[in-house]
Amino acid sequence: MSTTLEQKYAERLKRYTTAMRNGKPDRVPIRPFAAEFAAKYSGYNCQQVTHDYELAFDAVRKCATDFDWDAVVGNMVYVWTGLTQAIGLKYYAVPGIDVPAETGFQYREPSEDNAHMRAEEYDELIADPTGFLFNVWLPRVSADIVGPNQPASYRSNLALLKGGMAMLKYFYAFPQQGARLQQECGMPSAIAGILKAPFDILADKLRGYIGLTVDMFERPEKVRKACEALAPHLLHVALTSAEPTKTLPIAIWMHRGCVPFVSFETFENLYWPTLKPIILEIVKRGYQVLFYAEGNWNMHLKSFAELPDGSIIYHVDKADIFEVHKAIGHKFCLSGGIPNYLLGFGTPDQVRLCCRKVIDGVARDGGYIMDASAIIQNDAKVENVKAMTDFTREYGVY
Amino acid sequence: MDESKGEAIKPGVCIPWEQKLKELPDIQGDPQIVRRVWEDNEALAYTFIWHCLVSF
Repeated sequence: MSTTLEQKYAERLKRYTTAMRNGKPDRVPIRPFAAEFAAKYSGYNCQQVTHDYELAFDAVRKCATDFDWDAVVGNMVYVWTGLTQAIGLKYYAVPGIDVPAETGFQYREPSEDNAHMRAEEYDELIADPTGFLFNVWLPRVSADIVGPNQPASYRSNLALLKGGMAMLKYFYAFPQQGARLQQECGMPSAIAGILKAPFDILADKLRGYIGLTVDMFERPEKVRKACEALAPHLLHVALTSAEPTKTLPIAIWMHRGCVPFVSFETFENLYWPTLKPIILEIVKRGYQVLFYAEGNWNMHLKSFAELPDGSIIYHVDKADIFEVHKAIGHKFCLSGGIPNYLLGFGTPDQVRLCCRKVIDGVARDGGYIMDASAIIQNDAKVENVKAMTDFTREYGVY
Repeated sequence: MDESKGEAIKPGVCIPWEQKLKELPDIQGDPQIVRRVWEDNEALAYTFIWHCLVSF
């Protein structure tokens, strides 16, 4: 690595981590979660970066070389559909196969009647979550893998073998991508480790949103016990996927646990009490958690404020970032707040104006990281992402 | 929260060592090696299924 790149890496990492600890770095760090945007910028389509992760890595490295950002995710098109196809997963629409090659992958939530977990299966999940996933869930979500009461098949054996080996290959490729980003682009990685809330996992991958909503009325105690049974495993996944130096935050992708997807009471009595202990345990072990609060979670800021100062970075999507700053900005670093519709349909001047407003409103004392509201996909205009980057570089100097 | 508490089979394994041990003849060598390697490989299977759920 050249001295310049080495120096750049050190400066960027310091800038990024200082802000994450709610401190004031030399200037506002920039950490866009560029997913399909990276493909578009680099001349790839969605099929290429979703189905061939080496192309996705390459696209990220091109962005990291050309844009003066401070941290990136090695591959923000996180679902490698080569792997999901090897396992025979049915719930993704794959670019180039199920949807046009220019369209990002889609999650297809089944109807209530075809939920990946039936209402009467709560006890089985609660008794042994891992066993349930292997014996019931996986055969149900895979077109190839058979359950324990069905005869073994060639396709099933192959799906398990290929799926397991493909996952190893993919996960082992990430550290190498991190090293290349560091050495070839002087660019730090933004996150390491994955967490989801027990309630979100139940809604997303097991009961479905509608099924879980009904369960909240018909069997709330089972829902609670299921969340409690999932929690230690989700903690384990988070800790074992994190990086050992504890420099980078573990990201929690927050989906449908907020008002109006659920009632305020459901959040207070179920979502938060089954998530908060996981967060506290992660924090106790020395990690920060990046709350990627998709949608608008402003009804629940009081609950998040219960967490220790500096323990999380709070990412703002559709919520009013100025309200968020007022409520929790003194405790936690914030990120985001630049609407994706602006990056897609606005002009560079409008983007610059918005960035100025956000920097003036929430970044004065540090503790802010520039980013779009949500993951940046291929609808974002290159000139607008450039405007966000260049303006922040110039205007965001402390 | 302690990730080792709260359910019958602890996170990180699918078939606990205690269960596997019952299926084996008396171990003539070092049982700790057998246990460690068993649990290391268990962790791979565990990672597979939980990341299918959480990451994919």
